[in-house]
Amino acid sequence: MKIINCPLNGPRNAQEFVHGGEFVAMPDPHRSSDAEWSSFVFLENNTAGVVREWWCHVPTAYWFIAERDTIKDEFIRTYDPSEVFRERVEFAKPPAQGS
Amino acid sequence: MAFGLIKYGLSPRYPGKRFLSRQPELKSSYDVVIIGGGGHGLACAYYLAKNHGVKNVAVLEKGYIGGGNTGRNTAIIRSNYLTPEGVAFYDESVRLFQGLSEDLDFNILYSERGHFTLAHTDAAMRTSRWRAEVNKHLGVNSEVVDREDLKRLVPSLNLSEDVRYPIMGALYHPPGAIARHDAVAWGYAGRAAEMGIEIHQGTEVTGLEIEDGRITGVVTNRGRVACGKAMQAVAGLSGVMANMAGFKLPIKTVPLQACVSMPLKPFLDPIIVSGSLHVYISQSSRGELVMGGSTDPYPRYQTRSTLDFIEGLMAHILELFPFLADVPILRQWAGMTDMTPDFSPVMGETPVKNYYIDSGWGTWGFKATPVCGKRMAETIATGRVPALLQPFRLSRFEEYSLVGEKGAASVGH
Amino acid sequence: MALNPSTLPARSFLYRELQKFGAVFGEVNGYASAMTVGADAAAEAAQARSLGLCDLSALKRIGFKGWATAEWLTSQGVTLEDAPNRVYPQGDGARVARLSKGEFVVLGDLEGRSTLPDRLGGAWSMASANGCFRVPREDASAWLTLTGAEGGAMFAKVCGVDLRPHKFPNNGIAQTSLARMNAIIMRADRGNTLAYDLVFDLASAVYLWGALLDAMAEFGGKPVGLDAIKALG
Repeated sequence: MKIINCPLNGPRNAQEFVHGGEFVAMPDPHRSSDAEWSSFVFLENNTAGVVREWWCHVPTAYWFIAERDTIKDEFIRTYDPSEVFRERVEFAKPPAQGS
Repeated sequence: MAFGLIKYGLSPRYPGKRFLSRQPELKSSYDVVIIGGGGHGLACAYYLAKNHGVKNVAVLEKGYIGGGNTGRNTAIIRSNYLTPEGVAFYDESVRLFQGLSEDLDFNILYSERGHFTLAHTDAAMRTSRWRAEVNKHLGVNSEVVDREDLKRLVPSLNLSEDVRYPIMGALYHPPGAIARHDAVAWGYAGRAAEMGIEIHQGTEVTGLEIEDGRITGVVTNRGRVACGKAMQAVAGLSGVMANMAGFKLPIKTVPLQACVSMPLKPFLDPIIVSGSLHVYISQSSRGELVMGGSTDPYPRYQTRSTLDFIEGLMAHILELFPFLADVPILRQWAGMTDMTPDFSPVMGETPVKNYYIDSGWGTWGFKATPVCGKRMAETIATGRVPALLQPFRLSRFEEYSLVGEKGAASVGH
Repeated sequence: MALNPSTLPARSFLYRELQKFGAVFGEVNGYASAMTVGADAAAEAAQARSLGLCDLSALKRIGFKGWATAEWLTSQGVTLEDAPNRVYPQGDGARVARLSKGEFVVLGDLEGRSTLPDRLGGAWSMASANGCFRVPREDASAWLTLTGAEGGAMFAKVCGVDLRPHKFPNNGIAQTSLARMNAIIMRADRGNTLAYDLVFDLASAVYLWGALLDAMAEFGGKPVGLDAIKALG
């Protein structure tokens, strides 16, 4: 069994975790074009090598960030999202409908 | 008998024949370069030569032909999909498969078995009916069967109600078949080579040359090759190739594992699939049980087998066939699959002119080998994407026009 | 005087399972709770010291989460430290389990002396506790305690985390997979007896109860009543 080091709970069996996808910045949903938004939703870097991703420890519903080598299948580092997000991400209010 | 064979073997009147002629030197230029010498790439080369007379073609394979996912799948062929687009597409593939041994003059051991997708819930019964209706509407033979039918058609199946997920019925698809997957690659390769297609094994593409948004050549470990057109058919590494071409795909590379048991006397004629239990199982012509399940839980570029997979898979297989408990597993392996958000392929044109793509073959690629080859050859030769492939264009994601085959294409959901 | 559990409006999801073992029920916090399982109190106490499983679902508990939860709890007189995955005993017998930076479960005591869970429930309101939200642990989570010296060895069969007493300290918390179910496991020794509190999804209580008893059978483990747990001290 593969062991993943959860920043909150320590080393745990990989079965306790869910892969949450690539760590990419979310575009402003109200101001991005269809192409930008579909790229965010559907397209993948799918890097062969070191990637940065979201993971979730399911028993605690705790989301964290992992740096992982997709060729060697090795976790390099896992850390709490507060290392990246110092404050809440806010988007400007949506433009008024019809404008 | 044995002496006879030795006599023929030693006789100059029956010389040994190489399946592929000796590998030629790489030329400096081809009309078409096909990246990836799996079933799809080789089939495309074959139909380019046969249907369109395009013969100045090189197939570049970094390993050996059929050494990737072509030789790692569980060789199931069927067309009982959910969407009309999917059903029409896979139906053409099944029809091509049915005549393929004759077409290639090479026995691919095509064996029509019948295919059962078991339903263990009301929701699965509803989806079975839905698929059966879509299939029938498009002339594909599928019907919903109940427990009594199953008792008769699959006598070895455990229909007990004293299990975690009792079987309520199934979607029955009589044309469901299996074939020898390596033979499909070899058959296409042999006939393509006879028509003058060059197949270069041990030839890895390391870069693409793109000028003014148009492909002009590929860089390989054996030197540079100019080309008029190129196609990538490198399932598992589609994203890596697309990255070289400068665009992104809606594809995650996720390993899919499978295994075979030791050979047993024939007892299981049809192919049995259960979406709820995440398993599929068939018995090969050698008697081995060929078994697979859902993809690994997270993406990676690796083909390592895991104990988790085999434990989980067997727990479910034994619910369907409890008497297999003492049967040893002979081999276990993995392939790297192109998983797409809608469980449909990504085929046709790309943002790079004259650079075509055949990708997104998650866990459903082998059964599409002939149709992909034929229709991608048509796309490359004519420069027009046939209507059959239009629904699977890369731009469908930007248009939010997905072709949802989850549940019909795969057991991992 | 034995109580028929079905005469009370509130009873544990496990009461039918406990009836199969001959449990005698009494009322705790308005719930029908198994006070004894089996006729011999001394034998039951011995069982709890070797390997016993007791349903504590009748006891008070309440949950909170949110970015300002620690501040709000502190303002209500709760004593806390920063480290997550630790249980912080309060002076009156209640315990506060810190599951993460911002999530907590407050557990009442066996005798019902502590007023903390009720007091917090009464003090909390959406308006007054900004950044702190209620988690309905009393309605959503079952609570078992597994006691006795064999506990550490038994858990090795059903849990990937090493819960043996020399590896897993008293008041430590493991939030993990237990018999393939998500559970909060808290070491909560009672007197000199090794014990673990298990808090998990109420809807799967019957499953986990059966899975644990199955795993415990090898070590002679059996269900015990609330009285036997109280007797541990």
